[in-house]
Amino acid sequence: MSSTENAAMEVEATAEQKQAESRRILSEGKWIANLARNVKFLERGIAAAEVHYTHRALRTIFSLRKRLQSDVLAEMIATHASKSNSQSVADCLQHAAESLGQKHVVGPATKVCEPEVCLFLCLLVQLYHLDHNEHERGAKLSDVLVGAALGLQRRTLDPIVSRVIFYYSRFFEVAGRLADARPMLLKALQTATLMNMKETKAMVLTLLLRNFLNYKLYDQAERLAAKSSFPTDAPNNLLARYLYYMGRIEAVQLNYSQAQMHLLEATRKAPSTPATAGFQQTVHKIYVIVELLMGNIPERSLFRTPVLKKPLQPYFELAQAVRVGDLSQFQDVVSRYQDQFLKDQVLILIQRLRHNVIKAGIRSISVAYSRISLRDICLKLHLDSEEDAEYIVAKAIRDGVIDATIDHEKGFVKSAEVHNVYGTSDPQHAFDKRITFCLGLYNESVKSMRYPGGDHRKELAYADEAIKRERELAQEIENEEYDSDSDAMDDAMDEDL
Amino acid sequence: MVGVPSAQELSGLYDRTRAELDSPRPNHNAVKTQLSQLKVGLVKIALHNAQVELDPKFQLTKRSILEMGAEFSIKTGDIPAFERYIAQLEIFYYESKQGLAESNVMYPLIGLNLLRLLSENLIADFHTTLERIDLAQLQSNPYIVHPVKLEQALMEGSYKKVWQARAEVPTPEYLFFMDILMATIRNEVASCVEKSYSNLPFDDAKSVLFFTSMDELLRFAQERRWAVSPSEKRITFPSTTENTRMFQGETIMKQTLTYARELERIV
Repeated sequence: MSSTENAAMEVEATAEQKQAESRRILSEGKWIANLARNVKFLERGIAAAEVHYTHRALRTIFSLRKRLQSDVLAEMIATHASKSNSQSVADCLQHAAESLGQKHVVGPATKVCEPEVCLFLCLLVQLYHLDHNEHERGAKLSDVLVGAALGLQRRTLDPIVSRVIFYYSRFFEVAGRLADARPMLLKALQTATLMNMKETKAMVLTLLLRNFLNYKLYDQAERLAAKSSFPTDAPNNLLARYLYYMGRIEAVQLNYSQAQMHLLEATRKAPSTPATAGFQQTVHKIYVIVELLMGNIPERSLFRTPVLKKPLQPYFELAQAVRVGDLSQFQDVVSRYQDQFLKDQVLILIQRLRHNVIKAGIRSISVAYSRISLRDICLKLHLDSEEDAEYIVAKAIRDGVIDATIDHEKGFVKSAEVHNVYGTSDPQHAFDKRITFCLGLYNESVKSMRYPGGDHRKELAYADEAIKRERELAQEIENEEYDSDSDAMDDAMDEDL
Repeated sequence: MVGVPSAQELSGLYDRTRAELDSPRPNHNAVKTQLSQLKVGLVKIALHNAQVELDPKFQLTKRSILEMGAEFSIKTGDIPAFERYIAQLEIFYYESKQGLAESNVMYPLIGLNLLRLLSENLIADFHTTLERIDLAQLQSNPYIVHPVKLEQALMEGSYKKVWQARAEVPTPEYLFFMDILMATIRNEVASCVEKSYSNLPFDDAKSVLFFTSMDELLRFAQERRWAVSPSEKRITFPSTTENTRMFQGETIMKQTLTYARELERIV
């Protein structure tokens, strides 16, 4: 039975093969046409000084990348290289052609080659090298490209240059020589700031932070972030990456509240497509740890989202151990998943969780018992001695974790009476936080609204984004945890309207 | 030293300073002047001949001079100088290590620096420095393990462990910073004790606060304004009344005004 099936499949295969062959020839032609169309986009963009044409061209790179072929690329380069404005651009193209292994063929002179087009083609060559694991050639080519791009200093080059620099850094990272990329990156930062090239500046800042974090130079990274200003209208994915790096730096420097804010924003700004799953997982890992270090237990629903379920499994168990307050369980989890934590570079942060476990344990004991002897506390928390327990409880009282008094002679801890929470100003503070958040959200959404003006076509692209953003915001408002509050607010707002 | 010293002169001076320092009763002033001469010599050589930076022997001499300077500053209790020497030694200790073999005072010095950061309560810097150290060393090297354990004990609040750690220092130089740390801890314990106990007998107070004599305890109690009653031999701590019920008028006013303003803005 299987043999006939195989035979049938073979026949099908050959028929399919023929179809695929014909499709391929067609698609190659289509692909070259695609490439030519992108070049036209770029030229139109330069002529009209509109950035979004460049963006459209760049967006097609993703599909082009899968079908790059060296000979077709070399041909395109040859046709465009014959007449170009500046020497550096011609150099780039020559380098690109050489790196592809093709001789530099002088084709018929078509038209003046704009730097954008040349850089675009060279970017494609870079991608080709990256995909084919030719790191040395790619690194050399990128070197030349970045030098030329920075020298040209044209603002319309902004999006392309930012991508060129990204791959430049990537080549070095893959070859393990990331420290060597630093001087060029710093120079790029200088040029980008001076020329007001926002996207390049955002990209270079992100790459530098990544560079420093790779070598664990946290104070240098912090100083860079403090002295430079990240452009606020950078594209969302760059912003998401930058926020993630900032969150990591702050987490190491014990600035947990800032870290939590940044990491949360990073998860929101990143698009939630399957391609970004890796990013979401990494950010969520650090986010869980920061939440635990702040003393909050992250929601269980966070761990159940399908994308995050498996990679966050060790973190889930960690959160459980911290919540229960059991030190031995905590040690168990840490030793079991030590390799995983080592790979995620969070092992040192997790060591800090130890005292959170003890705090949680003390808190649950204090709530459960009105009076408990120090010896029992020592036994329950697996501490070393009664004196230790006494000091730890005293510190916990001072830090406001529990409300109790210690009787030294009789050797027990007496919990204070639970008083009415509504008598204090805690509810007021909680309300205030939520109200400011909602008002801030409203203000931001008003600011990001755009009104269709004269150039209708131009605005269509932005209108799409704006609608998407408003839908996101509406979803966010719906998904807020404090359901009852938002219900009340919705009713109130409906009444006003 | 006038003019540019040669490398041999420099190492000769270094050997002499080393011998002086290692002798049973070193003359601190003499060592100090010799150290400054060495530092000036280093700079002169580097300025005169830029290529010398690549010479491994010169780097070795430079590192040994800096390490000796760090040790000496601990002996004389000069903390800012110690900080400066450690900052200069950073390029030798992390990452590239300038191609030299590992110095055998590297980890003691790193451990001492960690302890210094702890005693000055610079916890953020402590953690950033910790990140740069090899993970394997963190768990095995006794010089590093000591400050790490101390920091954990401090965060938990088990000050007894810190007090006991005094006896377990890897090198005597650690004791210098441990004393400073003790003073910091004493204040911490005092504030904890104020909040958690209503009163304490003298003897217990003395042991809790790590004092050795009653006079120190009484002086400390006076500084912190605790009520001492010699008759009962007790210290009573002032109870802090919670003023949670106080109406915080100003905050509420500010908040309500902000709400009103923002709501008016809604079209």
